[in-house]
Amino acid sequence: MAVSPQFVRGSSSAFLTCLLLFTTFVSVSVVAGENNGTWGDRSRVLQVAEKKGEEVADSSVTHHQSNSSEHKKVFPVLSFNYDHVRTPFEISLWILLALLMKLGFHIIPRVSNVVPESCLLIVVGLLVGGIIKAIGEEAPVLDAKLFFLYLLPPIILDAGYFLPIRHFMENMGTILVFAVVGTLWNAFFVGGMMYAVCQIEGAQLGEVDLLSCLLFGSIISAVDPVAVLAVFEEIHINELLHILVFGESLLNDAVTVVLYHLFEEFSHAGTVTIGDALLGVVCFLVVSLGGILVGFFYGILGAFTSRFTSHTRVIEPLFVFLYSYMAYLSAEVFHLSGIMSLIACGVMMRPYVEANISHKSYTTIKYFLKMWSSVSETLIFIFLGVSTVAGPHAWNWTFVVFTVVICLVSRVLGVIGLTYVINKFRIVKLTKKDQFIVAYGGLRGAIAFSLGFLLTNSQMKNMFLTAIITVIFFTVFVQGMTIRPLVELLAVKKKKESKGSINEEIHTQFLDHLLTGIEDICGHYGHHHWKDKLNRFNKTYVKRLLIAGDRSTEPQLISFYNKLEMKQAMMLVESGSAAKLPTVVSSVSVQNIQPKDSTRRRAIPSISKSREQEIRKILRANLQKTRQRLRSYSRHDLMMDPFEDNLSEVRFRKQRVEMERRMSHYLTVPANRQETTPVRKVCFEPEHKVFTYITDGESPKGRTSRPHPSSPDAVSLLYEESQRDNQRSVLRAKGDTELRAKTLDNQEQQEQQEEEQVKLSRCLSDPGPNKDEEGDGSFHS
Amino acid sequence: MGSSRSRMDDIPHAQQLIHETDFSAAHLLRLHQRFKFLDKYQTGELRPRDFGAIPALALNPIGDRIIGAFFSPGRETLDFPSFVRILAHFRPTDPNRSRDSTQQELANSRTRKLKFAFQLYDQDRDGKISRAELLQVLRAMLETQVVEEQLQSIAERAIQEADLDKDDAISFDEFRRIVFFFFVFCLQSLEKVNIDHKMSIRFLK
Repeated sequence: MAVSPQFVRGSSSAFLTCLLLFTTFVSVSVVAGENNGTWGDRSRVLQVAEKKGEEVADSSVTHHQSNSSEHKKVFPVLSFNYDHVRTPFEISLWILLALLMKLGFHIIPRVSNVVPESCLLIVVGLLVGGIIKAIGEEAPVLDAKLFFLYLLPPIILDAGYFLPIRHFMENMGTILVFAVVGTLWNAFFVGGMMYAVCQIEGAQLGEVDLLSCLLFGSIISAVDPVAVLAVFEEIHINELLHILVFGESLLNDAVTVVLYHLFEEFSHAGTVTIGDALLGVVCFLVVSLGGILVGFFYGILGAFTSRFTSHTRVIEPLFVFLYSYMAYLSAEVFHLSGIMSLIACGVMMRPYVEANISHKSYTTIKYFLKMWSSVSETLIFIFLGVSTVAGPHAWNWTFVVFTVVICLVSRVLGVIGLTYVINKFRIVKLTKKDQFIVAYGGLRGAIAFSLGFLLTNSQMKNMFLTAIITVIFFTVFVQGMTIRPLVELLAVKKKKESKGSINEEIHTQFLDHLLTGIEDICGHYGHHHWKDKLNRFNKTYVKRLLIAGDRSTEPQLISFYNKLEMKQAMMLVESGSAAKLPTVVSSVSVQNIQPKDSTRRRAIPSISKSREQEIRKILRANLQKTRQRLRSYSRHDLMMDPFEDNLSEVRFRKQRVEMERRMSHYLTVPANRQETTPVRKVCFEPEHKVFTYITDGESPKGRTSRPHPSSPDAVSLLYEESQRDNQRSVLRAKGDTELRAKTLDNQEQQEQQEEEQVKLSRCLSDPGPNKDEEGDGSFHS
Repeated sequence: MGSSRSRMDDIPHAQQLIHETDFSAAHLLRLHQRFKFLDKYQTGELRPRDFGAIPALALNPIGDRIIGAFFSPGRETLDFPSFVRILAHFRPTDPNRSRDSTQQELANSRTRKLKFAFQLYDQDRDGKISRAELLQVLRAMLETQVVEEQLQSIAERAIQEADLDKDDAISFDEFRRIVFFFFVFCLQSLEKVNIDHKMSIRFLK
């Protein structure tokens, strides 16, 4: 219970901070409002202020003129000119507010466990909107242009760039069926039923015609990727369900776009003919395929450009972002599906770009995408709250209640019906639990709201907007909050934390080959056959074109392995064992150290020069740091944890102490005489959850290496591993040292080891950066 | 496909095969047709060179291993029942089937599938994938010339990750464990081969 006072303090300070922020923000906005009084007429916050700028310039000029025309005033030492910075100031303030709110939520742990972040943000938006309205100012509304052009693309790009392709493709059929057929069913069912509802006497809805209802249905039927992402991110369900719901939310954009435009056109025209319906179908194909093609085109351009960026590493990430954004905008020009275009661009670009760009650029891209999408999401939800308070509402009990009910019903029916059909073609059938989660996860969000906002002004529009907002609130709050306990209750399979392992990669490829072979034997052109053909095409033509240098001929396994090794190198070095660098740089060092092997040389160098240099640079950069660190810390000091997220200091220290204990145990246990080369046992988890566990059987320098868990999950693995290892010292030999170990005796081994160590350090202490190294020297972390 | 269509009477022991491997009659017919197509000289049995005639298989890095898996060790010919039995490994697993304890394990159970894949690695059938065998597989799959050291490191690392009892080889249990969690998808694709059969039979008619 020692935690509670801390908790209380923490939460109260967080509360105070939030309160402070509120007041600051509101007061500034009020001042701003008073100063100009132009928050009226629904000013768009992010409007590119050309016109305004002129106005402001004019007013300031006249102001100065009037000043000088009067008798000479005292030179103003301090003056207040808010208009000058108004727009960027407000934008920054909004974003800052949003992020501080987000920060606040995570400081209060209890709340964020129960309530998903999206709900909290909407509540904040409601409060802010309420305050602004109470003051009497007009609040900024979630403008459709703002939303579609600025807030939505980062989220979609983030989703598309990191889309798990394999799962996506394997379930493509199911996803497409849900996205297309499901959305169509939803739209027509909701539209039709609402029309029937409108016919009810006494509901005062008589003037709502069928087309308007269908339009409304098409707006409200689309599952929203932003909301789905926001909620599903926190519940960690298994990949299958995640990709199903998420994929559906992405792909239904085409359907939504087509239906929306279709019904909007027709609601003006008044009548629909069969010809129009057929045109609608054609339009759908054009919209979706066109969007994808545009995306692919820009993706290829991006990949091709990245081939030449080896001298200007700094701007590499920008190419990725800009090409993707251009893809989105280009698609929007022709009213094609921008979302699909963005996804296609990201998917297309990624493998080639990642082969070309430097490691730092890769990290930059990753972080920027995550950052932007996070900000966007936060802003969207807050604005949703604000707009709810601000917008004109036309509350009609019948309409709204029936909308909510019918939406739910249609979603459930749709999922059940479609699953029944889909399961006939699937191998992994979707169980009832899966169906429930898919149905329950069909959240509506800001896209529906923005589309509703784009409708032409009328009484119906307000009613529609009210209903849309209610549905959104219902799905986000009720479904969003309850989905987590439901997932627990139903014991839905969670996401498996799989380590990025070389074994998986090998076996996956092996299995692919196996299945392709079997298909060939059976004479059947199936899934694997075409995949194999695509791979071959990719390897022979596309990769040559789009990937720079000799990495274009690098087999996938090798690049995967290199990536793993490089990651490990960085982790290893950051954890401080500068003395030993086992097989980490094996591919690099071996080439340098074994002159006698250089005679039987390779036709193609396995690691290109640039790669080698890259590895060296990373190691050097980190080694320098660690050398400094090692000088100041003694062996028993607890080192600074470079990975400060996810880990509490206390727990970490405890683990360290435990590890030290085990380390000392190892050092006193005599190792097997034959195997004296230093050992490293590595457990690997993707991305940030990496830890290395370094045990040293017997090293001439007698230095311990530090285990370095970087996440709580990793620790249990650590214990597992160490228990297994406890009986013997496991050793890892490099390929050639193994061979040598078998033939040499211990004495020579020791010597050679030392020699090797020396050679290694010599290899590492290479002369400083030369001129033609990669240009991101300024980026030293 | 040129050759005359088979009928059920042409197929020896058809009923027994159906019972054993759980293929449907239509499947069996199609497989028999394929068998006859591959068996160019109508000897009633297949030889490795008949498989070699399939062009796509020649391009497959592990093509020869797959062919080898069809033939039991020491045998040079493959008759139709054996052909079918091997292919039965790739049928989808039906989770609803009640396991009859007296009946021998069905060919398509998950274990059998894994064992089949395992045998493709383990050419000398000693129950373990040794480092040398793993190296061979890697060499086959990495078609371009790769440095020997890199292969060694990859093999080294792979064995290290998987090897739990530290015998420097991967036994069947260890194999099963490493591939287990992504097998949910991969094995399904193993099983998918036959679903596609079903669809192609429809088109054939």
